[in-house]
Amino acid sequence: MTAVLDYRNVTVAIEGRKVVQNLNLAIAPSECVALVGESGSGKSQSWMAPFGLSPGVAGGEAYLCGEPVIGADAASLSALRARHAGFVFQQPLTSLSPHLNIAAHLTEAFCQAGAALPDQDTLIAALVDVGIDRPAERLRQFPHRLSGGQRQRVMIAMALAHRPALLIADEPTTALDATLRREVMDLLNRLCRDRGMAMLLISHDLASVASIADRIIIMRQGDMIETGPSDQILSQPTSDYGRELLAATPRLTDPIPVRPVIGAALLAAQDIAVSFPMPGWRRPHLQAVADASLMVHEGEAVAIVGGSGSGKSTLARAIARLGPCDAGEVTWRGLPLPPRAKMQAHDRAGFQPVFQDPVASLDPRWRVADIIAEPAHHLGRGASRQFVLSIMAECGLDANLADRRPHELSGGQAQRVAIARALITDPAMLILDEATSALDVLVAGRILDLLRRLQRERRLAMLMITHDLAVARQLCHRVIVMDQGRIIEQGDTEMLIRAPHTDISRALIAASQ
Amino acid sequence: MFGLILRRLMASIPTLLAVVFLSFFLMRFAPGSPFDGERPLDPETRLALDAAYGLNQPIIVQFGRYITGLAHGDFGPSLVYRDFTVTDLIWTGLPVSLLIGALALLLAMAGGIAIGLAATLRPNGPLDRSLMLCMTLLTALPTFVTGPILALVFALWLGWLPVAGWGDGAPVYLVLPVLALTLPTMGAVAKLTRAGLAQIMTQDHIRAAQGRGISGWRLIARHALRPALLPVISYAGPAAAGLLTGAVVIETIFALPGLGRYFVQGALNRDYPLVMGVVTLYAALIVLFNLIADVLYGWLDPRVRG
Repeated sequence: MTAVLDYRNVTVAIEGRKVVQNLNLAIAPSECVALVGESGSGKSQSWMAPFGLSPGVAGGEAYLCGEPVIGADAASLSALRARHAGFVFQQPLTSLSPHLNIAAHLTEAFCQAGAALPDQDTLIAALVDVGIDRPAERLRQFPHRLSGGQRQRVMIAMALAHRPALLIADEPTTALDATLRREVMDLLNRLCRDRGMAMLLISHDLASVASIADRIIIMRQGDMIETGPSDQILSQPTSDYGRELLAATPRLTDPIPVRPVIGAALLAAQDIAVSFPMPGWRRPHLQAVADASLMVHEGEAVAIVGGSGSGKSTLARAIARLGPCDAGEVTWRGLPLPPRAKMQAHDRAGFQPVFQDPVASLDPRWRVADIIAEPAHHLGRGASRQFVLSIMAECGLDANLADRRPHELSGGQAQRVAIARALITDPAMLILDEATSALDVLVAGRILDLLRRLQRERRLAMLMITHDLAVARQLCHRVIVMDQGRIIEQGDTEMLIRAPHTDISRALIAASQ
Repeated sequence: MFGLILRRLMASIPTLLAVVFLSFFLMRFAPGSPFDGERPLDPETRLALDAAYGLNQPIIVQFGRYITGLAHGDFGPSLVYRDFTVTDLIWTGLPVSLLIGALALLLAMAGGIAIGLAATLRPNGPLDRSLMLCMTLLTALPTFVTGPILALVFALWLGWLPVAGWGDGAPVYLVLPVLALTLPTMGAVAKLTRAGLAQIMTQDHIRAAQGRGISGWRLIARHALRPALLPVISYAGPAAAGLLTGAVVIETIFALPGLGRYFVQGALNRDYPLVMGVVTLYAALIVLFNLIADVLYGWLDPRVRG
């Protein structure tokens, strides 16, 4: 059988720098091949450049359904993409045109290979296939009305609408929360097998592709490190890098980490409520958080877990006085915290935040050493260069990074800078808002290691917001489960994982297995 | 959408009142009076005039009377053009200004967006570079420079068009003022369109559309143009109000009987009701065009509709 996608010694260069070298792969109909590697491994460029979707220059030979891809002129390449390929991108939130409704998107996708205009029933059927509820209503909606998961499902429906021979899915689930990842991955798998489509799956997470890929190619710095059938790579990877990748994903079956002893009450939040005004004539309010109470002790790590939209970040921000808080009281070491507008630097010194997007949370014009020292300046203490360097060393940052600016850092380094900045005030607690979820598996694993060490050495308390129970389990004594703005379950981490009481908890556990 | 319009209209009432209040008192505190001329009037005539127009009453009473009149749609009498009310003057001047302004606005939007699109097809190519250079020049040149140059070239040297005047609205008289009014706005619109498109073309949804095999004109027209026009619209709202209510300079250069001329003369003559009337009208139009811009915003980007 001839291969749908056939790469022979494909190379990709960006501005003269080789980012992919001698990549060989062949995908047969109904087969799924996964390209796995950390960011910068060239895994995305290896398909975007040959298919003309990035400024990279591709060399070598590549064939889609027997037709040459590399060297084709822009017009015929565009026609080739339209006819034989479908794409699902990592960013479901921004990959749909904001001003076109779902029906317009789907219609365009159905017609892209020259088919006749689809009727309403066809469009509805396409949405039903990808598991979207109330499809007739969704067709008239604009993308911003849909959740991230729904948008990714629409992207999948569009990628499949013209019955392509090949589906390329680039990190299709990375931007989704844990409960959705499994569902979307299963959906992709089922649709591809049913329709006899070939699939090229790109991911940084070896564990997540394992269940659906037939073969896996591990890439690093543009080179193929290892290739073979999935079960072989998963059971006995031959390269060190493969083993490292495999071990990096935290699992619920990992041995129970040793957790520090906890002390007196540190932070207590009572009956927190937050609501946001919604658009509309009567100005209805969305109750984002209601009646939420929680307590964190010295040295204790508490996780707030839940799906997207469950109110977990809103609650943490309300407690930390970083976001609105309509009602409720927060005490810190027994003393009430002033409302957000009256917070002073010294009120905040005890608890410091670390956010999800490491690069966006650092001022691009500042140097690393200044960024780290800033909170100390606001406290009127200042921080000597020596002190900044010692904190950097503690966070695993090399001293020569002190004078760099954020854009010169990798994602992992930037997150370490954010952690160092949080530590400069010598806080008793860190507030970690999805602090590892924007990072590659390997990098996230190392950040978790760092946090675990800080927890042990500094007896740091933590309030950790995450959608991934397996990550929470690495650090946290207790878990609080949120859904629709309310705390629905809480308890000791191991107990909750072993004996969950609610469906939401069960779904979160299933997603992390 | 309807709710938004209603809310915005309600919110514009205090804005308009503030404009009326400020301009009323600013005018009165400026030195001079409508009856100061080359030759001082004798005191008796002066008093009689002040009494006739109510200028001898306390200023707060005058303001109250003015607001009451305004609520009835009465802008009051002109103090200088004695036989006319301000409403009469506005009705004479406004159609001229509206015609010229509307033509200039249409031309500027159509031409500017077309030039912006043409420049985007080959980014940083020779066409792009030269068009953008011209557009920068157009925005940089003030109308009191382009107006006379256009008149010099097309009217005096080539003799194709009349130098100035209204000619009862005959089309040939409109060409030069409309053109002079169009050029700077068109330059700005072209530059904003080009910049907006350049920004949109790097976004994820464009790459996703390219993945579906959409390219060239279709890609720009269907997926990029509408979101790219947002900055153009936020510029065009206030600019439209300026164009339509009489470009003072252009109306002076081309001797057109538009609103702008009355505005300038009214200010110089301390013709209080006339200036007040034009200012109020101008403020109302600004509010109106910003509202239109907001409605267009909602059409261009459904996210702002909420």
